[in-house]
Amino acid sequence: MRPVSGGVAGGMVFDKHRDFIAELLTRYPVKRSAILPLLNLAQREEGCVSQAAMREIADLLDLTPPQVFETATFYTMLSLKPRGTFHVQVCRSLMCALVGADDLLAWLRAHLEPGADGATADGRFTISTVECLGSCATGPMMQINDDYYEQLTRDKVGRIVNDLKQTGDCALKSGPFMMPERK
Amino acid sequence: MKTFEKILLKNMEQPGYAGSLAEYERAGGYQALKKVLGRVPPADVIDTVKQSGLRGRGGAGFPTGVKWSFIPRDHPGPRYLCCNADESEPGTFKDRQLMERDPHQILEGMAIACYAIGAQTAYIYIRGEFRLAATILERAIVEAGRAGHLGADIHGSGVTVNVYVHAGAGAYICGEETALLESLEGKRGKPRTKPPFPATHGLYQQPTVVNNVETLANIPHIINRGGAWYAAIGVPPKSPGTRIFCLSGHVKRPGNYELPVDATFRDLIDDLGGGMRSDKPLKAFIPGGASAPFLTPEHLDVQLDFESVARAGSMSGSGGVTVMEDGTSMVWAALRLMEFFYHESCGKCTPCREGSAWIVQILQRILNRQGRPDDVRTLEDICGNIGGRTVCAFGDAEIAPVQSTLKYWRSEYEALIAEAGALNAGRKDIPVLSVS
Amino acid sequence: MATATSQKMVTVTIDGMSVQVPAGTLVIEAARQLGVMVPHFCYHPKLEPDANCRMCLVEIENMPKLQTSCSTRVADGMVVRASSAPVEAARQSVLEFILGNHPLDCPVCDQGGRCDLQDFSHEYTPTAGRFQELKRVFPKQYLGPVIETQMNRCVSCMRCVRYCDEVMDAQALAPVGRGTLTWITHWADKELECDMCGGCIQICPVGAITSRVSMYDFRPWMLKRTDTICAYCGDGCQMTVQHKENRLIEVNSAFGAGRNNGDLCVRGYFGYHAGEHDGRVRRPLMRRADGSFAEVTWEDALEHVARRFTALRATFGADAIGGLITARCTNEDLYLFQKFMRLVIGTNQIDSSARYGAINGVRALRRVQGIHRWTVRYEDIARADGIMLVGTHLHAANPVTAVQVKQAVKRGGAKLITLESLLPARSTVSNITTLSRHHLTVGHGRFDAAILGLLKAVCEANLVDEEIAAQAPQFVDAIRTKTAGVSWRVIQDCSGVSQQECDAAARTFAAAARAVTLVGQDVLRASGGEAMVTNLLDLQLLTGHLRRSGSGLGCLAEENNEQGAVEMGVVADYLPGPFNLHDKDGRAALEKIWGRSLPTGSSATLMDMVSRANTGSIKALFLVGENPVESLPPDARVSEALEALEFVVCQEMFLTETAKRAHVVLPACSAMEKDGTFTNTEGHVQPVRRAVEPSGESRPDWEIFAALSVLMEQPIEYAAAKEIFKELRGVAPGYEMLGPASAPPAVDADTVTRYVTGGFKEDLDRRYALRPLAATPPGSMTLRLVQSLYHSGKYSTRAKGLMEIEGEGQLRMNTSEARRLGIDDGDTVHLSNERGQADVSVTLLDRVPDGVVWFPEHFDQAVRALFSVTVDPHTGVPVWKATEVVIAKSNPSHHKG
Ligand SMILES: Cc1cc2nc3c(=O)[nH]c(=O)nc-3n(C[C@H](O)[C@H](O)[C@H](O)COP(=O)(O)O)c2cc1C
Ligand code: SF4
Ligand code: FES
Repeated sequence: MRPVSGGVAGGMVFDKHRDFIAELLTRYPVKRSAILPLLNLAQREEGCVSQAAMREIADLLDLTPPQVFETATFYTMLSLKPRGTFHVQVCRSLMCALVGADDLLAWLRAHLEPGADGATADGRFTISTVECLGSCATGPMMQINDDYYEQLTRDKVGRIVNDLKQTGDCALKSGPFMMPERK
Repeated sequence: MKTFEKILLKNMEQPGYAGSLAEYERAGGYQALKKVLGRVPPADVIDTVKQSGLRGRGGAGFPTGVKWSFIPRDHPGPRYLCCNADESEPGTFKDRQLMERDPHQILEGMAIACYAIGAQTAYIYIRGEFRLAATILERAIVEAGRAGHLGADIHGSGVTVNVYVHAGAGAYICGEETALLESLEGKRGKPRTKPPFPATHGLYQQPTVVNNVETLANIPHIINRGGAWYAAIGVPPKSPGTRIFCLSGHVKRPGNYELPVDATFRDLIDDLGGGMRSDKPLKAFIPGGASAPFLTPEHLDVQLDFESVARAGSMSGSGGVTVMEDGTSMVWAALRLMEFFYHESCGKCTPCREGSAWIVQILQRILNRQGRPDDVRTLEDICGNIGGRTVCAFGDAEIAPVQSTLKYWRSEYEALIAEAGALNAGRKDIPVLSVS
Repeated sequence: MATATSQKMVTVTIDGMSVQVPAGTLVIEAARQLGVMVPHFCYHPKLEPDANCRMCLVEIENMPKLQTSCSTRVADGMVVRASSAPVEAARQSVLEFILGNHPLDCPVCDQGGRCDLQDFSHEYTPTAGRFQELKRVFPKQYLGPVIETQMNRCVSCMRCVRYCDEVMDAQALAPVGRGTLTWITHWADKELECDMCGGCIQICPVGAITSRVSMYDFRPWMLKRTDTICAYCGDGCQMTVQHKENRLIEVNSAFGAGRNNGDLCVRGYFGYHAGEHDGRVRRPLMRRADGSFAEVTWEDALEHVARRFTALRATFGADAIGGLITARCTNEDLYLFQKFMRLVIGTNQIDSSARYGAINGVRALRRVQGIHRWTVRYEDIARADGIMLVGTHLHAANPVTAVQVKQAVKRGGAKLITLESLLPARSTVSNITTLSRHHLTVGHGRFDAAILGLLKAVCEANLVDEEIAAQAPQFVDAIRTKTAGVSWRVIQDCSGVSQQECDAAARTFAAAARAVTLVGQDVLRASGGEAMVTNLLDLQLLTGHLRRSGSGLGCLAEENNEQGAVEMGVVADYLPGPFNLHDKDGRAALEKIWGRSLPTGSSATLMDMVSRANTGSIKALFLVGENPVESLPPDARVSEALEALEFVVCQEMFLTETAKRAHVVLPACSAMEKDGTFTNTEGHVQPVRRAVEPSGESRPDWEIFAALSVLMEQPIEYAAAKEIFKELRGVAPGYEMLGPASAPPAVDADTVTRYVTGGFKEDLDRRYALRPLAATPPGSMTLRLVQSLYHSGKYSTRAKGLMEIEGEGQLRMNTSEARRLGIDDGDTVHLSNERGQADVSVTLLDRVPDGVVWFPEHFDQAVRALFSVTVDPHTGVPVWKATEVVIAKSNPSHHKG
């Protein structure tokens, strides 16, 4: 065994966010509070929370890597392994299930043919199920990366997948929530 | 249903209203803050809120003014306000609308709350999935800061309130107030043992108030129009006010409906929600989010206030009302919710951690026609061994779907088990497990 | 967090019995006082309540639900039912939940037979559980060479994680995942890197975390237990040695036991195998004419030694013989050694490993406060509001004293001031400086300058205690003048510590109501060590902390029983007591007890003996457990000295480089093989007990001295070690009783008065003058030999567990210095200076200060040739732990592989 080094100073993952991090640390009287914002940042930047990122966060916040690790693994939006370019998260909770979520999920899986880890062969999509995302009146719904897609039908899901494949974006994503719609 | 004035959704239901600072101010926004800052002593603000009888909208329904008054007056260190925007209770989506459509209403409520309890720093703990809402709130904070409604020395009053948005990363339990604090401190979101309570040992062990988004959104209106005004709405004195109910499931017009709590579930489901979406009649509904026991058509005329729902054997909780039509399998519905609770149990308490996994397995077996004759008994026992024996209320919540479906639809369980008995007669059964 | 500090007493009734306990006591503790044992997993008296297992539920009147007795504090008049039917049912259900996923692999579990889960299951669940689903399965986890986990057995009580965080301050264990799929690991897929204190293994209520060192070797009920004291460091931890058929199987320490209260460090927990090393000398050896050793009988060996000593004394006089003993021996061994040397041989030429540093502290303490022991105890550390560490490397050198300090800071809110030659870099190995309020990095070992800085700050900020100012204005003025004469610039240049840092630290220190200062090896083993300790005592005096009860200064014993060595009189210039060698009263008292007169010849320090051997005035050395060939660099000329001697006897456990040069080697017992006492760093005298039979024909050291005395016809005989203790008790104060002393000794008021009214002047100029900064050759760095947490002296390098953890010496360097030199972790580098060269591999360690590299001192053979010894002219202490070297990345041909 080799005794621990305190980490390699001046990490790579957060280098370009120095200013943001400096500001972030002013928000909390205790540095450790910045852990979730930094983990979220790493997840968004790298598609996963890498060991390098966790070590860097530990250094930034005067924590040990296990402290970052234990925190990271508690939260399901964070993943230690990379995900596809588009992370398709289908809500499977009761409220969406009542209005057809299972059917959509089956359809998506049949069409995108993800492997056991939920990722498509080309690595562009990762399909996973999630618990309630707070869109129960507009289910079935899914979240792809940061965006919500609601009141889904097979047809709509097909268009979304197509759009994303072609352009990387899709106009069908939700804007600010308003239900029932204003008459 | 009698007519009433909406309080929280009023602005945003005006055509064209998008929740900008200018629009909010035009609708009378930030007047309440100006009214109290430096003019009304904090203790009087708390008294007004007490007088209004406002009760927390996060689930537990604790009187807000009373909660604020627990903050020690003579505490030498900092105090904190946390706005609970974790909104993760299945069936609940009101806070999201409030944040995305009228963010300043919440910020003004927060600024007043901070003034009342003497906090200079407030965090909005928002569930990580709500990226849009977080962006909108962040933008609104900048706007409000520029206009002098937030930040240092608000409107020359010497009062400082800094508000920060802090996003979670996927954990329902972080809606529980002490888990929220742990998470905000950068730890695993495990609830703390109480006492001590957040009012004395909260965030960073300092006095802290945790309030739900909707609760805080009510504050400016109560300040503007007085405690007595608010206390007269709904079911005074215990359950005053309007609430936003989140209607989902097999109804024609699901969505958020604000109404005074003296209305009934029938008003909500039939009048506002337009009734069932198909010709199938109502079989069951959940009156207050996934943690609330199921109710039956018999309960449709129950009033929406906390006490009435409690008397009916359930709870008003977070205001999430989910409607299920005839033909919905109650064992399946219970499993779906139980899988949620299994997925979200933080793992701290033995009964909750192990019990949730166990119940899920039994329900899965029953649905897979692999039930055993003693399963119902076992389920009842497990629920009994979880309830009241855990650190946080999650333990009580997770047994609600199972206990209540067993109470009203036990025969559905028994039928599935009987089917299994016939199907598997003489077979040595290996149960399947699909917990991930 | 509410704590049970209030002294108000309240009455609670539990299962019908009433008891008075302090308000704030936990219900589970109150129950224990009544003999009601409430079953529990997550509760542990060392840890903050977490109330996660829910096993300890009880009924409390007027409370709606069952309450966890581990987190509920008593209130006056509280009525508790801890064994009613609902309580029993709740316990059964918790067990049913836990057992559901448990693998029930008790037959192959090391915890079987002493497992809380087993015991409670036996007590509360007569029937089989109803869980008939698939169990969750975690893979068995290898956490490195000494620890592994079997997480299927885990009950998720988090005791290990909480201990690692709350007590050890290592934060090395991580519970990962959520819900029932939570398991405990280190981080990512890495092997555990931590203090390796074994605390997680000890505190696990089941067999989820186990030691690979003792794995599968035993069933607990087959083990015999012996309570004894760890022989490694001066903390003097009590441990229970478990053994089977004369083999050492396992070591642990029970909560509440000893000064360590159940905590151990890696050396105590994993280092117990040293005595079972294959290299033990098991029979007496005598050098043949061809230089090789022959095994001989004890009779032959002892007769030969007796004859040679007698002959040499007859020819050259008693002072032709010198004796050197390791401080690691028991008090009984040490005492008898000097008695043998003085009475049987007739010489005062006696010294021991206390010469390497302990002596510096002893001299200063005796001079200023008249008592050479700590005037505080661990309990005072816990109660202190200010703690100052000076050159201690506490987490590595005295890990269990470090636990006291950690607790004082983390629980008690004490403000910690550290003057240490390390950086406060955080890693999963604890670093005491990360807890500091004021950390002053004294990078290049110039503690003299840093201490002067504190004194100067106290004078300049007028933090001088009123009492001393009134009592000894001369003393205060003298120091004021002296410190005024040294500029902040010089202080900063020498020590690297700034005026602001000194000022802030001095203010905190002076403001403390109870301040404890601990001084470590970086000061004690340095040249000028005595002066530095004296100056630190000046600081205590100036701030009023010397005479205040609860405050005080303690010198840390890195090596076990240095304290005893001083008090047993095996240090040159001291008689047992210690009394000065020429102290009339001391001599008279001893002569009365011994019934013989003491020799009058001069004393000799270790280095005196080496030079006298080289010049020929000493002809023979009796070395007991001391290995100067390997504990000094080549230019100390120890090998030459041994070559020049006519007769060298080594009493040893191993054939060390010194022993290899002896004429006779006498096999000695390890501390696990004998009875006696050790005195810990705080001055508590604690019993050492034989756990296993002596290896081979080895014998306790004292027995060998006694046997020799008989053969030399001046018998000093004892039937057992405890008879020696009886005698030495009358000789050395502080040995009246075993175990923790009821109160620490106080400073001697007369001595202090003498000191502040004039005594201080004697060497004031010297103590307050800063020697200039030594110019380092350009391009070179300071190479320091540093104590590692995983070892203690060379003895531990024979313990298989410790060698698994750290098996070879690697150079430690911080990342930025490594970058600067183009060196990566794991690279081999070439070290050189005018004395020699060495190739060693590098490990990055960010607690190493800039401009410095560390090498673990117990593996120093690889680099020893680079060092040079200097002898402190005032104390005879040999100093050689730092040198300047040029470091270059080795070219590939230098790689060892
Ligand atoms: C398991 C659990 C989850 C909870 N989730 C939420 C939530 O998502 N949002 C919320 O406002 N309150 C939630 N609560 C309630 C909070 O603990 C707390 O009572 C509430 O935030 C207080 O605010 P209020 O007084 O304004 O209602 C939850 C409680 C429990 C036990
Ligand atoms: S009841 Fe469940 S969610 Fe709540 S603290 Fe206990 S384990 Fe966590
Ligand atoms: S011992 Fe009380 S909950 Fe574990």
